[in-house]
Amino acid sequence: MSAFEKLQNIDLRWVYLLVWIAVLGPLMWPLGLPVTVGRDSSTYYNYINDMPDGSVVMFTFDYGVSAMPELFPMTVATFHQLWSRDFKVVVVASWVDGPRIMNMVMEQLKPEQNYQKVYGKDWIELGYFPGSEVGMAALAKDIHGTLAVDYIQNKPTSSFPIMQNIKTAQDIDLIVAHETGTPGLPEWVRQWVTPYDIKMIVGCIGVQVPEVAPYLQAGQCKALLPGLTASAEYELLLRRPGIALSGVDAVSMSHILVIALVVIGNVGFMMARGKRGS
Amino acid sequence: MADILGIWIAVFLTMAIYSFVYKENPWFRIAEAVYLGAATGYVITVDLKFLRDQWTGVWSVSGPMAMGFAAALLVGVLWYFRFSRKYFYIYRIPLAIIVGTGIGQAMQTIIFAQFISQIRGQISMPLWVAGDALKSFSNIMIAIMVPCVLLYFWFTGGYKEKTPMKIIDRIARYTMMAGFGSAFGYTVLTRYALFIGRCQYLLGLTPNPPEAFPAFVTISAVILITLIGRDVYRTRIKS
Repeated sequence: MSAFEKLQNIDLRWVYLLVWIAVLGPLMWPLGLPVTVGRDSSTYYNYINDMPDGSVVMFTFDYGVSAMPELFPMTVATFHQLWSRDFKVVVVASWVDGPRIMNMVMEQLKPEQNYQKVYGKDWIELGYFPGSEVGMAALAKDIHGTLAVDYIQNKPTSSFPIMQNIKTAQDIDLIVAHETGTPGLPEWVRQWVTPYDIKMIVGCIGVQVPEVAPYLQAGQCKALLPGLTASAEYELLLRRPGIALSGVDAVSMSHILVIALVVIGNVGFMMARGKRGS
Repeated sequence: MADILGIWIAVFLTMAIYSFVYKENPWFRIAEAVYLGAATGYVITVDLKFLRDQWTGVWSVSGPMAMGFAAALLVGVLWYFRFSRKYFYIYRIPLAIIVGTGIGQAMQTIIFAQFISQIRGQISMPLWVAGDALKSFSNIMIAIMVPCVLLYFWFTGGYKEKTPMKIIDRIARYTMMAGFGSAFGYTVLTRYALFIGRCQYLLGLTPNPPEAFPAFVTISAVILITLIGRDVYRTRIKS
């Protein structure tokens, strides 16, 4: 086997070892590569920032713990921005892991201590609703009936001051959805955005961006925060450096590694083919 | 103490799952089984909590409501006939209800949400955006590429052989390749982002618990030594 053929047949374990080095290295010894704020993250930031005080924002967890490494930093940053303003925040989850992730958000941000937000008055967590799209449709028509009891205190939803004027989709001004798949944006668009003309902004994992982008262009989704690098930019805009920003060096290094491997593989392929041809 | 134990278990499960990149091994199989069991148990628990909340919050207020709740539960139980060879057909009743309501619910708005709105978005898109050459270029490309891809799938047979369609076909192919490339690039980004997030945990970087780092070093050493040792032992047995 020639050297060029060997290049195309590198033992995958060496590749994995290189990946470990490319990721762990910059995390342990940060390189401090510059991060510039892109259009997507500034649109997302500005959209929340431009909402008037007193707006009712519904945050929905459309992702599970498996997507936390990519989405959790932007979730924490979003709650920081939401709780820094005078919004009424209603938290729901169309994915079953949502309430667990919300527990971690609360552990980190401590809304009562750090933002003086009173549970039940300024914000509420209604927990998980099953049924995917059918569940969303039911929630739009009757929030109190679909999520009858809150998640944290196990009390009737209708007993909380914040929920006195929030009963259907028409009482919500903005949906903020962080998501990885189904149910997600298309279902919210079909059951909330189109019938009730609710504004919606989305944070999603990178894989989903090509699927979500058409909704952005059509104006059904007002802003899109795509993936970990956009989370880092968003943290910069909030002037609150977090775990996404510390991971950007590793993202850059890992991508350089992928590009290098693709180039090496292709060079090996073309050279081996040329040699066979001659 | 419970926190530390939890951190060590989390690190062990992470490393056991990642040990699969070396090869299939017992550590991986343990973590895989634990993951599936824990995830299933969690989902069942949360679903039962939802049922309980529905009962106490909505359906227990009157006799007819309680009967409606019981009927819904009964339909839910019918799912389990999936496991019976003799009464398998009964399982089709809840399946039909779920699929029927799901499709019915989606069909109400799908034409507006995912067809007319997309066409309207495409038509109303300005080709020239003042002061933003990149956006203008992007919009012009979208205006050319989207119709080309649609035509690629609409016209078949003789039309394909004529010159205009050949050009359109080529543009459509490049467009789709660009789309697949973009999807693949974002997929790589996501996979790395997931791995980076896990590495941040293993290294105990703030806000992750710092106790994870010693656990990471110890557990990864144990797993690596046992995997290599197992390989060496098996090679000796064979020889």
